[in-house]
Amino acid sequence: MRAREGAVLLVGLFLVALPLFGTDFFVGSIMTRVLMLGLVASSLVFLSSQGGMVSLANWLVFGVAGFAVGNMVATSGRGLKLGWAPWPSMVVALVICTALAWVIGSLSAKTTEIYFLMLTLTFAVIGFFFFGQVTTFSGFGGMTGIDPPAFFDDHPIRLYYGALACSALAYLSFRAIERSPFGLALQGVRDEPIRMASLGFDVPRLRTFAFTFAGFFAGLAGVLNIWWNGQIDPTSIGIGPTLDLLIIAVIGGIMHLEGAWLGAFIFVGANVYLREIPGLGSIGGFVQERVLAQERFNTVIGLLLLLIMVASPDGASGVLARIHSAIRPNASAKRRAITIDPTGGYK
Amino acid sequence: MKMKAHRRLLAAFAVLALLAGACGSDDAASTDATTDTSVAAEDSSGESVDETAEESGAEPADDAGNAGGDTSIRLGIMGECEGPFGGFHEDTVAGTTLALINGAGATSTSATTALDGFSGANVAGVDIELVGIGCGDDTADRAIQEIRTLVEQQNANVVIGPLSGDEGIAIANYALDHPEVTFINGIAGAQDATLHVQAPNFFRFNGDGAQWNAGVGDVAFREGGWRTAAVIADDYGFGWTSSAGFVADFCAAGGDVVSYVYPPLGTTDYSSFVQQLPDPDEVDGYFWVVGGTGTNAALEAFVNAKGDLDGSQHAGNLFFNPGIAAALGNDIAGAYVGGFASLPGDIVTPEISAYLDSADAAWESLGGGLSGGEADSPSVALGFGFAYGYYVGTLALVEALDAVGGDLSDNHSALRAELSSMTVEAPYGSVSLDANRQGIVDTFVAQLVLDEASGEIVQQTVAIVPQVDQTFGGTYSADTAPPERDNTDCAERSLPWHGNTIPVVDGVPQR
Repeated sequence: MRAREGAVLLVGLFLVALPLFGTDFFVGSIMTRVLMLGLVASSLVFLSSQGGMVSLANWLVFGVAGFAVGNMVATSGRGLKLGWAPWPSMVVALVICTALAWVIGSLSAKTTEIYFLMLTLTFAVIGFFFFGQVTTFSGFGGMTGIDPPAFFDDHPIRLYYGALACSALAYLSFRAIERSPFGLALQGVRDEPIRMASLGFDVPRLRTFAFTFAGFFAGLAGVLNIWWNGQIDPTSIGIGPTLDLLIIAVIGGIMHLEGAWLGAFIFVGANVYLREIPGLGSIGGFVQERVLAQERFNTVIGLLLLLIMVASPDGASGVLARIHSAIRPNASAKRRAITIDPTGGYK
Repeated sequence: MKMKAHRRLLAAFAVLALLAGACGSDDAASTDATTDTSVAAEDSSGESVDETAEESGAEPADDAGNAGGDTSIRLGIMGECEGPFGGFHEDTVAGTTLALINGAGATSTSATTALDGFSGANVAGVDIELVGIGCGDDTADRAIQEIRTLVEQQNANVVIGPLSGDEGIAIANYALDHPEVTFINGIAGAQDATLHVQAPNFFRFNGDGAQWNAGVGDVAFREGGWRTAAVIADDYGFGWTSSAGFVADFCAAGGDVVSYVYPPLGTTDYSSFVQQLPDPDEVDGYFWVVGGTGTNAALEAFVNAKGDLDGSQHAGNLFFNPGIAAALGNDIAGAYVGGFASLPGDIVTPEISAYLDSADAAWESLGGGLSGGEADSPSVALGFGFAYGYYVGTLALVEALDAVGGDLSDNHSALRAELSSMTVEAPYGSVSLDANRQGIVDTFVAQLVLDEASGEIVQQTVAIVPQVDQTFGGTYSADTAPPERDNTDCAERSLPWHGNTIPVVDGVPQR
């Protein structure tokens, strides 16, 4: 077994055992959210690392799944109020968001880099206003009181395991694709799209398939999220949360699949725990009273994220690599010898 | 070799971080909220919140779930430190704290801010400890994250808050799943939170957005001579609810609403929306529910498109305040304004004076929202609706706790029964609850008038609208849909307060 698989297996086993000794809050709130955010972030990391597509529409697909479930399950309040059972609603929601991902993917597939980013951002903004203004499906007030299936209702640990299982499924699927002919072709499209096209590969179609595949898992995370959160409104899919997803992927390491969950853990952990560091508020006493106190904890989080990104463009996993290099300089020197080519360019 | 070591390091880091989080969350709960808060907890009970949790020997979240054995109140305040109302964070905590200072013998930790917590709160032998202050941002998602932290990590068994409408609906739904916790609304005004969600452990001692606008339509019809009106409101829950209150009131009096325009929240250029409104010679008046920076921007667009303002043709909800005159001039004089929890400063009664004086005695200064965060007299913040809403909610808690002799047994059943049936004699009017635990409140109608002495526009109360209930005289019920853009039926009907409003002359209610 390779080191990577071993490490992931170790963490996976730990996560399976976590409810045995973790507090209800840590497991049911913190880690469930980490797994859901990691799941949707993994769809972005997959697109970025395998297809060279940094998308801002994954969060929209995530949100559409939530709105779809909300409209189908709710019996009162806003939206369609179809009153369907949760499980069939989940299936339909996944079909809807996978189809949406195919549409977005096919419309965006012919663009690259900043144009791809802007186009997917446009879809995200359209989604925000669509659900805000079309009150048939939501309105800005959003949908509340959405109950999960009875199996998960009032059983946060079960939902945690559900999120863990979905995360494992996504991880294994994305890893399997990496080594499949489709994955190799996708990597070719990422590195040399013109050459791949001249070799006869249908580049837009490959990108569309990748986007659709990623969209399915983003939708899966969206379904889990509304079961966990019980509500969704247009601000849930606004620009802020959309960028949060990108931040999660970047701080975790956007080129490493595992970085999606690592980034989510850092993001959620920082949001919950960083504000509670004793004495943090008084640090600001040098400048202004309470300048870094609880009500400004987002500033502290921002500084932390900035630190990670400045210290390691490859995210938190890159930070760990650097720490290891510092501890073992010989290995580090060997790595430099391998990765720096004679012309001075990094490979 | 290198990669293997890297992966191992990654795995080890992940496992250690998870372990630290899983096992350390108890400790995190111990440091809780603000550092000063834990000091407050120690001061008041002789032991910290975490010590209590640790001594119980079980997971804190489970302890919170077993609130039947509560011997103290672990209070969480759900405020809003970011977003459009983030400037009122100090106000919300100050309102809660002042009620505990006045009714529970608490002392504020700081003389210049309420955010540092309090100590020494005790009612009927029950200590009230502040375990955390939630930091919302006006979104329901964030509100849920914060309330989870307050309840499930910091073990709050009573929560005061939240501030804003959609947050209130989310937390009322959360309350359904957490029957062991008692929730008392801060100042959130969405109708659904009580009328539709109906959580048995969620209490609201303030009005909703519709209730606050009761009487405006009636006054515009009777005094302003309006027979037709156009509504322009922010396209979200609070905008819809506020305009629904006006529509129900105005139509009940005999008026007709001929046009509805709903700009999206956050619009900066209102010209296209204003163009959709009828011209001033086609309608008798306009009702505005455009908040934040949108108020002035929308009115400026109106001036550009429709000509100068004529105050007698305009009315609005709480966003329609004297501040708009600073940018648009004094032509706005004559406009009617809906109510918001407390009363305008021109009304002074012994109860109001005592309340505001107690605020000034509790702190040297506060940086509330009305003063833009700058240090100002505490009574400025406490006299405004945000702080006052939290004050009344906490006052109800204190009085109910006292009435039941500190009985917190059986999931606070005695306390909740008392909250449901009591009448709170609050400084700006008495409040009791209906069957959905929603406040039946006094509200007011004010008018923007030109103060001859200063040459500035000020807000002057013209009428108090007594005991407005959420059903709006039968307009709304649990079976009616939540207010949306134009789903309030415009029909003439009898409303309890029509003909029974209390005129206010020179700041004196003519009861």
